[in-house]
Amino acid sequence: MRTLVIILLATQFCSADELSFETDVRPILKAHCFHCHGEDGEPKGELDLRLRKLIVKGGESGPAIDLADPRSSLILARIESGEMPPEDKNLSNVEIEIMRRWVANGAKTAGAEPESITDDYFTKSEQSFWAFQPISRPPIPSITGSHAASAIDNFIRARLNEQQLTLSPTATKIVMIRRLYFDLLGLPPTPEAVDAFVNDDSPTAYDQLVDRLLASPRYGERWGRHWLDVAGYADSEGYVDSDPVRQWAFRYRDYVIKSLNQDLPFDDFVIEQLAGDELIPAPYENLSNDELHLLSATGFLRMAPDGTAAGGIDQEVAKNETIADTINIVTTSLMGMTVGCARCHNHRYDPISQKDYYRLRAVFAPALDWKSWLVPNLRRISLYTPEDVAKRNELEAKAKAAEANRQTVIDKHIARTLYEELFKIEESIREALKTAFETATADRTQEQIDLLAKHPNIQNISSGSLYLYSRKRATRADELLTIASLLESTRIKHLQAELIAKLPEDEKPVADAALATKPDDRTEEQVSFLDNHPELLVTNETLSKTDPETAAKVAEIRAAADVCRKTDSKKEMDDLQKIVDDIREEIPVEEFVRALTEPANHTPETFLFRRGDHRSPGETAIPPGDLSVLGITSPVEIPSNDPAIQTTGRRLNYARHLTSDSHPLLARVMVNRIWYHHFGNGFVNTTGDFGFLGERPSHPQLLDWLSREFIESGWQIKRLHKLIVTSETYKQQSVRNGQLDEVDPDNRLFARQSIRRIESEVLRDAVLSATGKVSGKMFGEPVPVMEDAVGQIVLGEEDLDGERKPRAAGSLGEEEYRRSIYVQVRRSRPLGVLETFDIATVAPNCTKRATSNVAPQSLLLMNSDFMVKYSGEFAQRLVSEFPDDLNAQLTRAWRIAFSEVPTNALVDSLLQFHREQVDVIRKDEPELNDSESHERVLAIICQAILGSNQFIYID
Amino acid sequence: MTNSIDHLDSTRRHFLAKLAIGSAPAALAWCTQMAARAEPVKPDLGIRSFDLKARKPLSTPKASAMISMFMQGGPSQVDLFDPKPELNRRHLQDFPGKIKYDDAAGASSRILGSPWKFTQHGESGTPLSELLPGLSEVVDDILVIRSMHTGVNNHGQSIHAMNSGRTQQGRPSLGSWLTYGLGAQTQDLPAYVAMTDPKGLPVEGVLNWSNGWLPSLFQGTVVRPVEPRILNLQPPETLQGKRQESFLGLLRDLNRNHKSTRNRELELDARIANLELAARMQTAAREALDIAQETAATHEMYGLNNPVTEEFGARCLIARRLVERGVRFVQLYTKNQYWDHHSSIISSLPNSCNKVDVPAAALVKDLKQRGMLDTTVVHWGGEMGRLPVIQNDDGIDRFGRDHNTYGFSMWVAGGGFKAGATYGATDEFGHHAVENIVNHFDYHRTLLHLFGLDAESLTYKLNGREQSLLDGQPGEIVHDLLS
Repeated sequence: MRTLVIILLATQFCSADELSFETDVRPILKAHCFHCHGEDGEPKGELDLRLRKLIVKGGESGPAIDLADPRSSLILARIESGEMPPEDKNLSNVEIEIMRRWVANGAKTAGAEPESITDDYFTKSEQSFWAFQPISRPPIPSITGSHAASAIDNFIRARLNEQQLTLSPTATKIVMIRRLYFDLLGLPPTPEAVDAFVNDDSPTAYDQLVDRLLASPRYGERWGRHWLDVAGYADSEGYVDSDPVRQWAFRYRDYVIKSLNQDLPFDDFVIEQLAGDELIPAPYENLSNDELHLLSATGFLRMAPDGTAAGGIDQEVAKNETIADTINIVTTSLMGMTVGCARCHNHRYDPISQKDYYRLRAVFAPALDWKSWLVPNLRRISLYTPEDVAKRNELEAKAKAAEANRQTVIDKHIARTLYEELFKIEESIREALKTAFETATADRTQEQIDLLAKHPNIQNISSGSLYLYSRKRATRADELLTIASLLESTRIKHLQAELIAKLPEDEKPVADAALATKPDDRTEEQVSFLDNHPELLVTNETLSKTDPETAAKVAEIRAAADVCRKTDSKKEMDDLQKIVDDIREEIPVEEFVRALTEPANHTPETFLFRRGDHRSPGETAIPPGDLSVLGITSPVEIPSNDPAIQTTGRRLNYARHLTSDSHPLLARVMVNRIWYHHFGNGFVNTTGDFGFLGERPSHPQLLDWLSREFIESGWQIKRLHKLIVTSETYKQQSVRNGQLDEVDPDNRLFARQSIRRIESEVLRDAVLSATGKVSGKMFGEPVPVMEDAVGQIVLGEEDLDGERKPRAAGSLGEEEYRRSIYVQVRRSRPLGVLETFDIATVAPNCTKRATSNVAPQSLLLMNSDFMVKYSGEFAQRLVSEFPDDLNAQLTRAWRIAFSEVPTNALVDSLLQFHREQVDVIRKDEPELNDSESHERVLAIICQAILGSNQFIYID
Repeated sequence: MTNSIDHLDSTRRHFLAKLAIGSAPAALAWCTQMAARAEPVKPDLGIRSFDLKARKPLSTPKASAMISMFMQGGPSQVDLFDPKPELNRRHLQDFPGKIKYDDAAGASSRILGSPWKFTQHGESGTPLSELLPGLSEVVDDILVIRSMHTGVNNHGQSIHAMNSGRTQQGRPSLGSWLTYGLGAQTQDLPAYVAMTDPKGLPVEGVLNWSNGWLPSLFQGTVVRPVEPRILNLQPPETLQGKRQESFLGLLRDLNRNHKSTRNRELELDARIANLELAARMQTAAREALDIAQETAATHEMYGLNNPVTEEFGARCLIARRLVERGVRFVQLYTKNQYWDHHSSIISSLPNSCNKVDVPAAALVKDLKQRGMLDTTVVHWGGEMGRLPVIQNDDGIDRFGRDHNTYGFSMWVAGGGFKAGATYGATDEFGHHAVENIVNHFDYHRTLLHLFGLDAESLTYKLNGREQSLLDGQPGEIVHDLLS
């Protein structure tokens, strides 16, 4: 046998005798044909393919199977020619071959077929699918000569025995502590912790270590992130391009971390997330801490992308998408079923009818009612106290008064600007223009509109444009002065001309010449002439006597220019705005919790949407319920309205039903997920799909045994961890060998541990940890992310100018060193370093992370600011811990990063590298002193260590 | 949708731990894999991966690459491409009609005739302003479109219209769509490159080369004006020169040491190989950016010996080198508001032209002489043009022109566009496009058509809806623009 894959493949080609309609043929037809031939209204060509007898009966073209001459059966002709299914969706060769053999062998069924067929019809074979069976408590296999510590080992060994395999030897203590730290806390152990463990020879040393780690607050941060993956946690709404921030989502993140740290039983964890609101009385005011905790839990049902507050989109579509995404999140995370596939038609592969989908939808309908929907901001629950409200009202009134005052000032500035600009206008139309401007826009005559259009400098004066006029106040003042001077000099010249005209003819040229000459250059005659005719010397000063009207006008314009020059209306407006803002600043910050709640006794009806289209609802209301195929193991009906509580209780009852000990999915799915995170393989590797397209469990009995154990011991997650990590199976070394690789290259049988690449968050956290600065700060608002000047997503508070260009980035202080679970999850802006090493998808959730191995990861390790910065800080840390002792620095670096003591040969080679590189740097950058060049090289070594496989893989 | 057999197959593929080049997550987003929604049997739940491998377009393409010179701010069409004698006849008279101004305080209704002479050039006789002597040499290779229209009178929105199809923020840019549709012919260089001006980002900053909601694999990668020119793809300051070789040597040693006790662990081998691949990509990038390899004549042609044209010329030359090496889309930006000549246009417009005219023309010449022009679209233009009236009516030295998105000019060349022609017309004042109006969506549909793509059917599913560059706008292929 080469791989398990081949075993599984082989089952597809079992002998033709055993092929039955239910087991072999129906799944193919269900996936490709039922939609048109049976499920969706009138069957196409009157051919219904859902039962063998209906196929034999056939449609318009006659019977689809010819039992007398199987090879000429119509159904085979159609699928072999590729005519059916239509378009490009042909059956695969394997599927066609199964069809051929089944027909050739008499088209058998496994049992009697029903008289008629309903939407919820499932075959026996579907009903007996493994995942829908009750969780059993299989006996623990007895293993001869077993020294196994736990039931887990016996199950694993029993399976290995079948392949003549045994468990691998136990890993070294260093490997074990490192594995435990990364698995349980997502951080590397400190060298001190490693020493303590390695030197502790007591038989309970390992168990004590496990207990210590499970009690660490870092545990909730590590496993909380796993849960946030399946919950689809995000700090933004998504759905629309603007991807608005979800300011209060973090309370749900904190709820998850706290609950895991407190080892809240998993059944309660599920009940609170699905129905925390139904456990406390409305109205949700003056909340106690416990109540706030319960409401925060329902944030789980508020994680789906939600575009319902956005403009320019189809709101009805957006609401229904949010509901559909929520159902996807619930069903893939808690039930391991792709129920979402049944939104538009019966599930193609699994026994989930479209009606089932709407039964589940009805569970959530009272809270997620698209007919009475609240947008995100309106459904938040305020944490304001009555005192806060009073304080806000008082300050808001003050702010309003300050705003009114500001408006008065703005109006004055508009009037002043108009007054100033009008001086530039020809006098004859000034009054008309002023009137036009002051007339309300709607009341203006065409004449006024045209007049204003000709004078855009008047037309466009407004509170919004005042700053533009203010910005040009110096130029505009100069313009006014020019106008005033021109008016004045013109008038003076005019007056002088009038006086000269009255002089005797012979005196006129004398007067002209005298006036045309500058006072200092005048001849004696000219001076005495003017002394005799003082009235000719009209000046700025005398103008007021001779022509007071013009003089006044000139003075008025000059005064206006003066005011114009001095008045910075923008600054005044800004200052007044600041007063308003300062008042509002005093208003107590209103905090909210983002929760899911439902109004009292709100029981909207749920209808099936034909083809998933909310515009084509069915006619009969669908009651709430679980998947009907589960009727074999657990009750399916959920009461429509629970009289015991204010709300309908649908979610609460559904949650209790899910967490009852008879539900076949919840415990299996959770146990499998926890196992998966400890081994890199689950029993079912399709952790979010336990259906027909998912994997069959590699160890069904162990999965059931653990699930039962989990349920019966009170759903204690930490206990389950301990059960797993104290098994010999978990403690094995990860080393491969040829014999094992031959049989089980993917380690599905767990005859060893697997080498695993650390996830993106763990990588970032481990790098921060090497700097010694990783922050222990828990909870609260996320560390913000932003785009830098080239569009990379980095940590930082976004600060853009009006043209969206980044201003200088400020320092985040300690926030920068917080663990990755606290980094803002903006759907449209995944933090670069996290995204590169595979981040959880948020559309809508992630039931399993991808693990890629691609060039950008190497490039990031080689060249990124992230690596350079923190390697430098790692080096600084080493220098400060062991000044002037390179040997100690290198040894310390190795121990911090890899948990082990380097061999002398390794240290020697690092020392040699250091020597050589210091020489290079001395030549390249002679301006550096010895300690600087030393630290440069140390940083390069640190970067190589942090970028090496030994750092990013766990044995 | 996977059927069950494929599904099992993928398990085996996983075991082989193959090296993927393109389908990958990235900080520099050009190599990112993102999960998205799979069609249609299993909606919203599957994982689809993306890569940048070259893909065959729908129809036979004329163009395979594009270099866009984005003249942010809005070059004055009536002073460069669209001669309007009527403006000179009515110089300083009132404009007869309505005008929408951006800057109220500086607004005037007096007409500003162009201070520059237009002359017809080449066999085509296309008139160009005396400010564009370089371009006049390649006038028979370019197509001047004089009837561009976006209809939104401010920079941000109009930039989005031109660069990402709609006036709002957050949508994928043109380069993202092209690389999403076609991938690239090289996997060693970014498929989509943005080249910013050393003096700063254009208006709207990094949104200009945003992938919007397309996977970040399709985001533009910035070639910066300073080292490291491409972040993550070029060594950081601490590892310049030989130092990085030594660093990589040490990293190799560490990985070899680690691997030596972990036999048969293929994933570790794959990661070691991956490091080598990354190093090769880095070499390829360094080589592509090294314009010293070009001849003296090429340097001269691009204006690299002239301090005025040197900077922009170098970027044009790098753009050509990138396209030559298989990069799909390169966009060059002038600095923030470089063409936004609200005032003193008499001195500032010639300055702006001096910087870009010779290099832009050199790019056309160079592509042509290398036989690349037929398959490379060259674009030169901004997000708007200017008004026919004076802004800042206080002396000719201070005269400027305000925004105009109702009728403006740009030029395109190569890649299947008509050569030696003009298309469309504005009114007698150059204010509104009136004849053969080309909206941004018409331009985009035509452009994608040249690449063998259909801007309406090239879609990405988001929120249950097929999203396209056109987004329902009535864009048409403008056949008269095509050769």
